Amino acid sequence: MVEEKEITVNIKKYDENNGEQWRTYRVNANRYTQMTEVLRWIKYEQDPALSYRASCHMAVCGSCAMKINGEPRLACKTMAFNAINDKNEVNLEAMDYYKEVRDLIPDIDTFYDRMYKVEPRLYADQTVISGENEERMTPSEQKEVWKFEECIWCGLCVSACPSVKEDEKFLGPAAHAKGYRFIADGRDTKKAERIGILMDSAWRCTSCYMCYEVCPQDVQPVIAIKKTKAYVDEYPGTTEVITMARKHDDTISESIAESGKIKESKLYLKTFGYVAAMKDMMYMMKQGKIKYAMSKDTDVKNIDEIKKIMGDKK
Amino acid sequence: MKVAYYPGCASHGIAKDVDIATQLIAKDLDLELMEVDDWNCCGGGFMDDRNEEIHTSLNLRNLNKVKEMGYDKMATPCSVCLNSHRIAVDKYENDSDLKENVDKRLEKANIEYEGGVDSEHFIWVLIQDVGIENIQKHVKKPLKDIKIGTYYGCQLLRPSNVMGFESAHDPHSVMDLVAATGATPISFPLKASCCGFPLMGSNPPVGLKMANNILSDARNNGADMMVHPCSLCHLQLDVTQLKIKDHFKQDWTLPTLYITQLIGLAFGHSPEELGIGKITAKYLRERGFA
Amino acid sequence: MEKKEYDAVILGGGLAGLMAANYVADAGFKVAVVSKVFPTRSHSAAAEGGIAAYINGNSDPNDDPEFMSYDEVKGGDYLVDQNAAELLSDKSGEIVRILDTWGAPFNRQPDGRIALRYFGGQTYPRTRFVADKTGMALLHTLFEHASGFSNIDFYSEYYVLDIVKDGNNVNGLVAMEMKNMDPIYLKSRALLIASGGLGMVYKHSTNSYISTGDGYGIALRSGVPLKDPEFVQFHPTCLYPSDILISEAARAEGAILKNNKNERFMAKYAPHKFDLAPRDIVSRSMTMEMMEGRGFEGGYLSLDLTHLGREYIMERLTLAYDAAKTFAGVDAAEEMIPVRPAQHYFMGGIDVDITGTNSDLNGLFAAGEAACVSVHGANRLGSNSLLETLVYGRETGKTMVDFLKKHKNVESSDGTEEIANNAYLYIKKETGEHFGTLLDELKETMWNNVGIFRDENKLGDAVKGLQNLRERAKNMYVTDKTTNYNTEVFNAFETRNMIDVSLAIATAALNRTETRGAHFRNDYPVRNDDNWMKHTLAYLKPDNTIEIKYKSVIVTKWKPEPRVY
Repeated sequence: MVEEKEITVNIKKYDENNGEQWRTYRVNANRYTQMTEVLRWIKYEQDPALSYRASCHMAVCGSCAMKINGEPRLACKTMAFNAINDKNEVNLEAMDYYKEVRDLIPDIDTFYDRMYKVEPRLYADQTVISGENEERMTPSEQKEVWKFEECIWCGLCVSACPSVKEDEKFLGPAAHAKGYRFIADGRDTKKAERIGILMDSAWRCTSCYMCYEVCPQDVQPVIAIKKTKAYVDEYPGTTEVITMARKHDDTISESIAESGKIKESKLYLKTFGYVAAMKDMMYMMKQGKIKYAMSKDTDVKNIDEIKKIMGDKK
Repeated sequence: MKVAYYPGCASHGIAKDVDIATQLIAKDLDLELMEVDDWNCCGGGFMDDRNEEIHTSLNLRNLNKVKEMGYDKMATPCSVCLNSHRIAVDKYENDSDLKENVDKRLEKANIEYEGGVDSEHFIWVLIQDVGIENIQKHVKKPLKDIKIGTYYGCQLLRPSNVMGFESAHDPHSVMDLVAATGATPISFPLKASCCGFPLMGSNPPVGLKMANNILSDARNNGADMMVHPCSLCHLQLDVTQLKIKDHFKQDWTLPTLYITQLIGLAFGHSPEELGIGKITAKYLRERGFA
Repeated sequence: MEKKEYDAVILGGGLAGLMAANYVADAGFKVAVVSKVFPTRSHSAAAEGGIAAYINGNSDPNDDPEFMSYDEVKGGDYLVDQNAAELLSDKSGEIVRILDTWGAPFNRQPDGRIALRYFGGQTYPRTRFVADKTGMALLHTLFEHASGFSNIDFYSEYYVLDIVKDGNNVNGLVAMEMKNMDPIYLKSRALLIASGGLGMVYKHSTNSYISTGDGYGIALRSGVPLKDPEFVQFHPTCLYPSDILISEAARAEGAILKNNKNERFMAKYAPHKFDLAPRDIVSRSMTMEMMEGRGFEGGYLSLDLTHLGREYIMERLTLAYDAAKTFAGVDAAEEMIPVRPAQHYFMGGIDVDITGTNSDLNGLFAAGEAACVSVHGANRLGSNSLLETLVYGRETGKTMVDFLKKHKNVESSDGTEEIANNAYLYIKKETGEHFGTLLDELKETMWNNVGIFRDENKLGDAVKGLQNLRERAKNMYVTDKTTNYNTEVFNAFETRNMIDVSLAIATAALNRTETRGAHFRNDYPVRNDDNWMKHTLAYLKPDNTIEIKYKSVIVTKWKPEPRVY
């Protein structure tokens, strides 16, 4: 038979009357035990009042998102034996960022609101809807769409995202993956509109790969954001954020195309303008680093290779 | 031991002191850093925003150079350069459509990607190849009674399935190195959160806020100083820290160092030799570490 | 009590409910979709393998919708209403085309057309799929489409207590908002029950934790019968011990079942179809193997993928591979996967015809697993559950539109307070029996006595036991008295529904003295068409008994023949 081991489960409980309090439970688990089963046993046998969300127990419904030892995870996709520390202990808490409702259940309505903002549905061509025309899709296009469509709306990426916390204009990782999924879908007729919804927000992402890390479905929202940013050249509109991003990234591309490297002083000047760049120089001077800003690195000798790699444009 | 060395643009520019300190302690440890021949910029974490194919191709060009030099490992002091090269290889190996287009670009430049070169952070080399014990042996001035906030940032750790060195949620590399200098490592909740540097080219107010969150968090958890592992974190948290101070009208600064600068201090080098910034150097002197 | 008025209320936010919602809303009617979970958490998400569809011009050249209907009729062991099976096949291609225009990311052929693959019980390959997560992909597609209608209101995380009736007419339902435990009356003249299945009544089930048969319980208590409740499907390949389903796709793509002697035992039980014989046959064969000592210690057999090669497995069977890896620590490219049968699907359900209409309560409709249209008969074929939810979700939606055009909402709202007050009794009570105790007994009884192999003694005991449980359930109480997201109260409500539907299953199984499809009686091991080619209708009576009536099976083309694979 499968060998069992007693594990200690500490759960941060919360309700309106009692506020937050940690409670400790002990259960016997084996190598096959999922954390959702641990929760179910606790609820059935020790604390029927314990509240959490769980549905499919196979990582496709996105219900059981929570923090396990501080790490944002799905409980069903976490095996008890992988979660415990060397003292056979595991800590469970509700996800960060969202409003507390009860025990391991946060109110994630703000997550859904983010998703709705990107108009998450296909708008097909009328002739296709009526059946006059047939839409085809290459296997590689399907692969690209499906990669970002695999999101199960669990909310983990938003709970862990530093830009979401600091910037209310940032739509958040999941919404970007969803929005990009339709940009990549040739059957959709609203591509330009979608780029308009997403572009400013895309440049508010800090590319820290937190969403990529915590996503239980390997959706890689940050990659969707980067792929969306790549449309900045064909997007006709602008905002303060987009304008700066264009200057900054164009300068980087130019600099690499010219010398194979990023020339920081040029980057500062072109991105922020003379006044702001000078102000930054002052800060560098106070730190004694201005001498480095003035130093000039050698260019790539075989710059032709770089030019060929980069092609005519960008 | 010889290892191929990719300094990256920043550490040959405004973050030059990262390169200076790294070279210095490498010499102390008999680690010969062989600069990658005719290396090019990795894209600085921005190129893949504009074009994944170019980004991937540029990074593979560097790795090919390393191969030509006869090495199978490339060490870099910059987390962004590290992440950029590792992500490029991961995409190339797992995305057949991208691979096809990257191969076309490289072919135009007469480059055939060979593979077989692993990008590593310089601190991975310190831990795995040099060894903590060996580092401890070189410590001449143990940094007693100083609490160092150990910051990792994002690109060194994530995505962990691509970076592969340590847990993205419970990392220990920087802590282990700080402990080797005799200082007391201080962990803090935002140790693996982003410093905000990537936002400085599009949304600076939020970028600065993130930097301030990191510095405040380290300080609130008792750190006297903070170390980090990245040339671009260096720009954000050290070089322009006074900007953050002004922006948030703060009456404090948190002296910040690149990890090899801290190790260099313990090895007996002066702040000047290590290119350490004025705020930090002043603090070190006040505390009697220089 | 708060009151909101709609034209139609839809209980359940899975594929069937959302499909109907899309059609009712498209006709301009005001719709409420109420579910105890956010729609994308519904059990539809768990469907892996795919959706069977005959697409004209994009199917096997030898295939024909009629073959598809025949497969369903035979697979269902002739308890299928043949007009229902024909409608299912005829509409299958259209359904896939509609989903394509709504954005479903089906896997493609090199020329850009929708790909297809072979599935258990099919004469020709006709399963359309989205990797190994077809249900999840389609559920998101449907929900996203529905979210674009301003005349659909979603009541997510609302627990439905009971149906409100005005005489013999539907007059909406009373639900409880889970976040704050406030009751709400959702008034409407049309009600669609699309609340999914009941796997949680069994100790071993592939179903989501939320599949607690709520819709069946609610219907039974309103005097509405369940049709053919004795037919419960057990899926052969469920990961030991978590009972996570390893998709039939694995066997469709070449995986083989083996016993502890490394024999491909299905050759003995289904000499033609082998491992791809219908689910009931494979599940029973596996159980026989284990009963005769050819299983592994702990009670499982092996599913062997190793000969398929890592690359092929990663490309075509990612979910099966990931499930084995994540939940059993097994690398399926190198080791065999430990599997056993577990409850998977409920063929029975709320009695409706092919329009989705129930004839006992005016304005009541049902679709999906909650309903019994009789397309699956005594046993469902793989790839047909998704198809049924969509085809009959759509048909029912259209029927509801016709109904709504002819009827108006009534004025009264009698009976709503009583429903809410009854619900609060569990919280008010300080002592009694805890739902957990009742639930443990229920799951044991259903698994041991009303499972894969059945007989009169076991079933008789089960009926008595369940009647006893139902009596004791009147005395349930909860320890948690708080008023925000009190899941203990909802568990008690679920327990009440689970006991009611289990009683219907056990009684109907005891009553049917033959073997047909998934209903296997050791004491009556053969099909008996003379006496039993008829549907069961099970009504719940206030004295804890089930009254059984019958309904004839609709036969259009195919006369019963022995079911041999």
